[in-house]
Amino acid sequence: MKIIRGIKLGGLQQKIFNLMLVFIVALIGVYAAVSVYQQKNLSAVVEEANYEQQSSITTVSEETMKAVLDTSMSRTTALQAYIANDLFADVQADVLTLQAFAEELFEHSEFFPAHPFFEPDAAKDGIASVQMQHEADVDPERSETLGLVANMSEIMLAMFESSDKLSSCFVATADGCILYVDDRSGSYFTESGEVVSFEVRHRPWFIRAAEEKKLIFTGVELDAFTDIPGVVCAAPVYHEGKLVAVVGADIFLTAISDYVRETASEGGFLCVVNDKGQVLFSPEQDGLFKAEPSGNAPDLRKSDNAELAAFISQALKERTGLKLIEIDGKEYYLIGAPMETLGWTVLTVVEKELTHQPTDTMLARYDEINAVAMANFEEGSRHSVQTVLVLTVIVVVLAIVGALFLAGRVVKPLEHMTKRINSLSGNNQSFEMEDSYRTGDEIEILAESFATLSKRTRNYIAQITQITAEKERIGTELALATRIQADMLPNIFPAFPERPEFDIYATMTPAKEVGGDFYDFFLIDETHLGIVIADVSGKGVPAALFMMISKILVQNSVLTGLSPAEALRTVNNQICSNNREEMFVTVWLGILDTETGKITAANAGHEYPVMLKAGEQFELVKDKHGFVIGGMDGIEYREYELTLTPGSKLFLYTDGVPEAINASNEMFGTERMLTALNSEPSATPETILKNVREAVDRFSMDAEQFDDMTMLCVEYKGAENMCKCSKELVVPAEIEKLPEVLAFIESQLDEMECPVKAQMQISVASEEVFVNIANYAYKPGSGTAAVHVMHTTDPAMAAITFIDSGTPFNPLEKDDPDISLSAEEREIGGLGIYMTKKTMDDVSYEYKDGQNRLTIIKRF
Amino acid sequence: MLNIEKKKEGSKLELVLAGRLDTTTAPELEKELKASLDGVDELVFDMASLEYISSAGLRVLLSAQKIMNKQGTMKVLHVNETIMEIFEVTGFSDILVIE
Repeated sequence: MKIIRGIKLGGLQQKIFNLMLVFIVALIGVYAAVSVYQQKNLSAVVEEANYEQQSSITTVSEETMKAVLDTSMSRTTALQAYIANDLFADVQADVLTLQAFAEELFEHSEFFPAHPFFEPDAAKDGIASVQMQHEADVDPERSETLGLVANMSEIMLAMFESSDKLSSCFVATADGCILYVDDRSGSYFTESGEVVSFEVRHRPWFIRAAEEKKLIFTGVELDAFTDIPGVVCAAPVYHEGKLVAVVGADIFLTAISDYVRETASEGGFLCVVNDKGQVLFSPEQDGLFKAEPSGNAPDLRKSDNAELAAFISQALKERTGLKLIEIDGKEYYLIGAPMETLGWTVLTVVEKELTHQPTDTMLARYDEINAVAMANFEEGSRHSVQTVLVLTVIVVVLAIVGALFLAGRVVKPLEHMTKRINSLSGNNQSFEMEDSYRTGDEIEILAESFATLSKRTRNYIAQITQITAEKERIGTELALATRIQADMLPNIFPAFPERPEFDIYATMTPAKEVGGDFYDFFLIDETHLGIVIADVSGKGVPAALFMMISKILVQNSVLTGLSPAEALRTVNNQICSNNREEMFVTVWLGILDTETGKITAANAGHEYPVMLKAGEQFELVKDKHGFVIGGMDGIEYREYELTLTPGSKLFLYTDGVPEAINASNEMFGTERMLTALNSEPSATPETILKNVREAVDRFSMDAEQFDDMTMLCVEYKGAENMCKCSKELVVPAEIEKLPEVLAFIESQLDEMECPVKAQMQISVASEEVFVNIANYAYKPGSGTAAVHVMHTTDPAMAAITFIDSGTPFNPLEKDDPDISLSAEEREIGGLGIYMTKKTMDDVSYEYKDGQNRLTIIKRF
Repeated sequence: MLNIEKKKEGSKLELVLAGRLDTTTAPELEKELKASLDGVDELVFDMASLEYISSAGLRVLLSAQKIMNKQGTMKVLHVNETIMEIFEVTGFSDILVIE
């Protein structure tokens, strides 16, 4: 694992840390998601509420405004109409009073003397006074009625002074004079200081009153002298069915227009429309509602704006409700109330936009508050986000530190334990409990378990070591025993190279390290060869020990000159005398007479021998078995004879051969054994044993060898083959004697007509062997060497044995020199023996009876 | 039993061997070589009449070859079949120049 700043990447510490980090990040994620959602939600709610509030404010305000407007405007308009009507009604009443008074005057003219009258006096300007004027061609002095009506001077003066609405009041006679009251005396003079004439009977009010014979109101007329627009209320006075005078009063419209103008408040105004649909009074200076002098004003009842036309017509007849009418692209609230006296109407006009001003103001104010609130909210949000971020950072830092700390706490004992465990090696196998592991959790349990395990392991290792040592010792001893056992058996072949009359070969393959089988052969004397094959019951070390004793006892018995049967009887008695283990051994024992080929044999419970008669096939010899050796004492064994003609062979074996099994537990059997023997019956004993062995191996394949397998084969070649010309030379072991030795050997070889090449090879080999002896066997000049030369004609061969009694030394054990090296690298040593081995057919060494015996054999 | 005939032409030395080159005679050849190899850059052994050679003879030939490797060439002439077999068995046929 990689380690950065004490934290193992991929370690438990990092894993715990990762886990906590993931948990925290997840928590923060959820928190952030919820926050964002809430923030968004809140914003949406605020926005929606804002919108709803605004629209609700607008609606409510609008409705309220409308209601308020409706009520207040209709009431105001009605009141205005009423007031305006009242104004004209007062004037009407005044005029009617004057009419009645004038009629009374004329009715009772006899009671009223002529009243003086005066022309306007410029000095009296500004003071209310009664003044007279007349038409240009009328003489007031000659008027019949002027003096009479002058009696009304006081009443008119009083009427004028008591009313603030009248600009004047008058009485005009039918003969063209007029008597009137006003305070504008100075106005009636020409530039030359004369009183201007007054065309009384041409005035519109006079004409209309005379024509209509009732009280009339003129339209808006310009005052004859002042050019101030006004309205004249006039009524005719009849006497005896004849028009005698017209009384009336002037109302300067300044009064009413002032009034109307005063009503004009911000956002609205009053206007008066007459019975012809013309605007009479209005504070408006332009537009549709501008007041125009009579005749010029358009008739609103015939306006292109149908809604307005209908409304005006309705307003002239009755009180209207609040109407919203669009005029010249602007919306107006209109309400109208008729003035009954005159047949006019009073309209209140309010621009809709203006009624919205409070709403707008309110909305603006609301928006302002809202904006501040929003700003506060956003500021708060931002602040809260910052706070959350800071908190998050703090939490993450705390979490990291905490996680590291916690993970460290958890991991530290583990790390310590790991180090401790890693340091366990060799003899330091002890893992002890330490305080740092006492964490009270699984780590402590783990440490305790490990400590226990460690203790057990140490004990176990100690045991194993002991057992292994024991096993090793036993193994070594068994290997040693195997060697000893193998060395006990004659195992150098050819065993008797100097005995051409017979050839013998044997093998033993134990199933375990040591076996219970054995074979043996030994020369009893010059012409008798003892042959033994035996099989001890059981296997392993006990069998091997028993086999040793048996082998020695049998050999000793035979060497003392006993016959096979006597020997077996003796050995049986010897073994039975002390055989508490009740082991036994089967033995076949034969003695070959090498001169005659006759074998005297006895069988103590062993397998049948197999014999090959020269030129025939191997066949079992069903001899008579005696009881096994070691089974019971006092047993007698029977002897029998076999005769081996030259070329005959005898094959002996233990039950390991026919009883070898294969994987399917089939036994090899004697039939297969005979087949194998007969596959090449004329072969040498060595080849015959090899053939059997190979046949057994082929048969048993991978099956483990179950029993010891021992075979022996002896071939009798005949006494004729025996060397009659064996000669021996004994010389001091000195180099100087080499020519003598070589001359001796060559003379022998010459005798048997040895080919020149073979003769020279034999000479070279002999020189090497003899020089070796001369140089190394003894201290210089202290010993002798015997050279024994023997040769046969069938087969044609020579065998030369060199015998010395010097230091035991087997020259054949020396490694062969490497002959592929260059001249510079070559060592000269070992070349002689190597040449000998290469050129001779057989070279064998034996240390026997204190003598080194080296034999070289050359066939030709 | 070993006859050594010396033929010297300038820096070339030819030795004609006859008889047996064995343990007893090898020291003679060794002595002869020791005495006459100085300044020789071409050494020739004529073995036409040599009938026998043992490892002692081989040893002398090997040391002669080692010397001549340093100062010239060495040839072996007229080797008979038997000796040739010994040269082959011992690997000397790879070391010596045999004609």
